[in-house]
Amino acid sequence: MTKAMKERQESAQSLEQGKTQRVAALTLELLEAGVSPQTILNDGLIAGMAVVGEKMRNGEMYLPEVLQSASAMQASLKILKPHLTREGARPLGRILLGTVKGDMHDIGKNLVGIMLQGAGFEIVDLGLNVPPERFVEGINTHHPAIVGMSAMLTTTMLNMKAIIDTIAAAGLRSTVKIIIGGAPASQRFADEIGADGYARDAVLAVGKVKQLLGLTV
Amino acid sequence: MNTRLEKALNLEPSDRVPFLPAIYEHKAWFVGETPSKVCRDINLFTTAVLAEYERVQPDALTVGIDVYNVEAEAVGCKVTYYPGNDISTPAIGPEGTIFQGADDVASLKMPDPKKDGRMPLNLEVARRVVKVLGRDVPIRGAVSGPFSMASSLVGSEHLLMLTVTHPGLVKDLIAFSAEVIKRYGSAFREAGCGVIIFDSQASPELLSPAMYRDFVLGPTQGIIKYFKQLGVQHVPLIIGGNTTLMLDAYLETGANNILCDAKADIGQFLVKCSKARRAFRRNLDTSDFLELTVKELLRRALKMVKESKGYPGFILGTGVVPYGTPLANLIAIREVAQEVRSVKK
Repeated sequence: MTKAMKERQESAQSLEQGKTQRVAALTLELLEAGVSPQTILNDGLIAGMAVVGEKMRNGEMYLPEVLQSASAMQASLKILKPHLTREGARPLGRILLGTVKGDMHDIGKNLVGIMLQGAGFEIVDLGLNVPPERFVEGINTHHPAIVGMSAMLTTTMLNMKAIIDTIAAAGLRSTVKIIIGGAPASQRFADEIGADGYARDAVLAVGKVKQLLGLTV
Repeated sequence: MNTRLEKALNLEPSDRVPFLPAIYEHKAWFVGETPSKVCRDINLFTTAVLAEYERVQPDALTVGIDVYNVEAEAVGCKVTYYPGNDISTPAIGPEGTIFQGADDVASLKMPDPKKDGRMPLNLEVARRVVKVLGRDVPIRGAVSGPFSMASSLVGSEHLLMLTVTHPGLVKDLIAFSAEVIKRYGSAFREAGCGVIIFDSQASPELLSPAMYRDFVLGPTQGIIKYFKQLGVQHVPLIIGGNTTLMLDAYLETGANNILCDAKADIGQFLVKCSKARRAFRRNLDTSDFLELTVKELLRRALKMVKESKGYPGFILGTGVVPYGTPLANLIAIREVAQEVRSVKK
């Protein structure tokens, strides 16, 4: 195994352990050694976050540790981004995320963003308490392939339909796929309000997004 | 006095299974107003609680609408209230938190329940409800659990990060929160009611069982012991989500009435609660209210009661009832409870 290969492996492991400074240092070392930023992204970050997602699903990692891993990923991505842009590397797709109007809960939505980013997608995060008009504005500005909505409360979950209706009224429904998530949501509810998909957790959300975009799951 | 719940908490057979729906923001619906308006108006709030009792006839009442905001607001956090007809539940957004993590916990103001935020309002509502219904039904003042209150002060995601980066700071924040909760709970006791603790931010869906033991268990034991010393005989501790993995620690808190949420393993709860001699409330899934017909809801509730295998400490409950839920849905579940008698051991 070459030194660069070992470092890529270590990068993935350090990411899993949430060692932000170590992951950033390894990213710089690998770039200096001539490893392509796309390879660092694929073998270090995406591979590392895939393990994190799996461990989270199996109950071997919990949210505080996952957030640490995400912080390490962000540190490395910050270094890689200008190099990736220069090389013309493209993300798998752009995803617009937001927690619906009246809802101040954003951990679930942020976790979905982390996992999607870790899988190679670009995230545009509208934040929380987002009214329908801002989703429309976001679609017009960022041209995402997917819109993801989250709600933690049964009361605010009902706002998801209003958002889908507003997107349709703006003539944009056919330009995006829409997925929903959040504690009270379900596939049945997604079907009822005309969403394209539902995911029970952040890891499943990655698979659902890939499926909706026709990418290999 | 309705002693049905009392009997269940003492694991004694009663005439029927007690029914405790989780009605908080939905209280406002009973008076045709928004949660933002009712939670800030003593008269509306009192009328809403009385109307809840009259229409739903639960086996206990909780004084609380936006439960997780009250203590943090009294410390200085900014709650977002919604104007006009907006039925969103008031909440503390990221811009409303007051503690950034690098601050000194000692700089936080210890609130006075008689003066600060909406604590006095909630206490007055409790006094008024106790005066009208105190002889008919148990009334409990809602307080946050220590981890949930710390989450409100800092923001959930920030607090979870701090558990890894600054564990000492998190412990200080939780200790501060525990002191606030003791004072607020003590004031509820003076108002003539019991206390119920809500700590769903400490659910295993956010915090690992090991972290719960490390950060939350000790302060929670301290709070419950304190309330019991004040004469609160039964102290329920409500933690939502699938708490099966933390059930041992949950029982070690000393709460004699815990929550077995819709996702939790009722089999494990039956075995461990029976051994520890504790009651538990089994919840119908919140989304059922939105998706099922009354007939389907009835069937679901009946199935849950059957799963309890006649355990005398079984209480039939619901997840948080969405604002505007038709009364017929709640009545249907209550009727299931009325039809099913507890089985003598």
